[in-house]
Amino acid sequence: MEAIIRLENLFFRYGDVEAIRDVSLTLPAGIFGLLGPNGAGKTTLMKLLLGFLQPASGRGEIMGQELGAKKKSLRRSIGYMPESDCLIPGLDAVSLTAYLGELSGMPRQEAMKRAHDVLYYVGLEESRYRQVETYSTGMKQRLKLAQALVHDPNLLLLDEPTSGMDPAGRKEMLELIRDIAKKESMNIILSSHLLPDIESTCRQVVIMNRGRIAAEESIAGLKKDRRNVFEIRVVGDGGGFFAALAAAGWQAEEKDQGLFQVKPPEGTEPAALFRAAREHSAQIRHFRQSRTSLEDAFMDVIRGSDGN
Amino acid sequence: MEIREKGYRHWEGKLRAARHDWLPISRNGIRAVFKKKYAKLIFSLCASSFFVFLAAVYASTKPELKILSELVRLLKSDAELFKTFYSNGFLTFMLIILSVFSGAELISADLKFKAFPLYFSRPLSRGDYLAGKFAIMLFYLLAFTLAPGVLLLLFKMLFTGSLAVSPVLLLAVLAFPLVECLCLASLTLALSILSPNTKFIQITIFLVYVFSNTLAQMLKAIFKSDYAFLVSLQGNISQLASFLFGVRPAHAFPAWLSLLLPLAITALSLWFLAWRVKKAEARA
Repeated sequence: MEAIIRLENLFFRYGDVEAIRDVSLTLPAGIFGLLGPNGAGKTTLMKLLLGFLQPASGRGEIMGQELGAKKKSLRRSIGYMPESDCLIPGLDAVSLTAYLGELSGMPRQEAMKRAHDVLYYVGLEESRYRQVETYSTGMKQRLKLAQALVHDPNLLLLDEPTSGMDPAGRKEMLELIRDIAKKESMNIILSSHLLPDIESTCRQVVIMNRGRIAAEESIAGLKKDRRNVFEIRVVGDGGGFFAALAAAGWQAEEKDQGLFQVKPPEGTEPAALFRAAREHSAQIRHFRQSRTSLEDAFMDVIRGSDGN
Repeated sequence: MEIREKGYRHWEGKLRAARHDWLPISRNGIRAVFKKKYAKLIFSLCASSFFVFLAAVYASTKPELKILSELVRLLKSDAELFKTFYSNGFLTFMLIILSVFSGAELISADLKFKAFPLYFSRPLSRGDYLAGKFAIMLFYLLAFTLAPGVLLLLFKMLFTGSLAVSPVLLLAVLAFPLVECLCLASLTLALSILSPNTKFIQITIFLVYVFSNTLAQMLKAIFKSDYAFLVSLQGNISQLASFLFGVRPAHAFPAWLSLLLPLAITALSLWFLAWRVKKAEARA
């Protein structure tokens, strides 16, 4: 499958701060989640893709076009939903969307017609003639999605699309993103620090931390690594038991009061846990495979990349 | 769910690579200024000097209105007439008001409402963005300088029944408003990009006009030299008009300096704008 985005050894710095460090990435067509804690470099990466920023070194291609070369032609095929609360004042939603469509190269009347369609699609049909300054945060988020869609781009860059939305609005926004992603010619990069948003819309994720790519794989793959993790509750000589586990190479972490998450070393069976308990007069009162969430997997990746 | 029932639909049309990508910005901006409260009042005031001069041109060409000849004494030569029309204090004041009204928020509002990511994620270069904003300012400034100037010339021909017009005069009628408006437009936009606070920008533009004239008067009083008027907006406009129309300048300093100065201000403002917009794009 042809890559939509191909980046090679990309570097970017804000003054002395290295915001993007040696990023190499190949993303095929589809929808991808861009995950990372605040300051990980997600927004900077999006700005580099859009050509707002020039990389200090490295190269890249987006849909076969050299990064930073023909910016105008590239931006015709990209729809961008910025994170910041941005708008163009003095316009109603339909004029603003049509105006931005026109700026993308749409004929004037077509832009106006399409503006009505996309505003209807994002659920702003009732308030499309209202001045955008009077919009609530949730409405602004929908409007930002509408303006990103107006020229029907091939690549949609969504930066924190659910930010500031109420639960119902957030659910609808994610539904919209899932619906858009169904279209074959539409590729989406969804940047968020909200793991449930990514989990409910994407199959593949790119995790960024401190300007680097910390992981790039499927969500299922990330979770798979955690199948050998267990939750236990222990009564009796817990101290001796956990000391023995640590000596044997187990990782143990208290998650809740008395609830521990344990991970055996490579090649060790869970039965060894019960043997150790017996030897140290401890009783395991609760034992089950740990519920694997994207959050756990994400934290593991972040911890791992922090250690490197 | 309703959203799923509707579903996303592709647009069947084709995007065009326009030669003038900045045009929608100008069109939208011109419309926005026109829709503003008090727009018609300000436009009427800006146009009022044209009607006064139209009456003067009519009076100067009709022998039966000789009684008014004293009134139009200054307007006997075409050069004097057009010089006075372009550089009269009221028109200059109204152009400043027009700049405050139409130009102060052109970039300032984009800063305030963080509109740059919306613009620059489109196929727009920084030059296109600036050209679009510049065209809005030029449209309104030229509408009340160049357009009435050319109309006056046409009416003059109509009233005298002669098509004879000096090429130097024609050149001056076209060149003066262009130099003046380029300078005012670029200065206004350069000030507009300074802050997201539009009120602050409006006051700054107005103060540049008022203080430049006051400062010139003070410097003249201190140094007893007409060169002091080089810092005055009105003084330079008057001197530039004298230079281009070939009439006696009001101030005793080389009039060509007043051509150089607005061109330098324009160049400096454009450089500053380009630098600031580049920064704004990176921060978008």
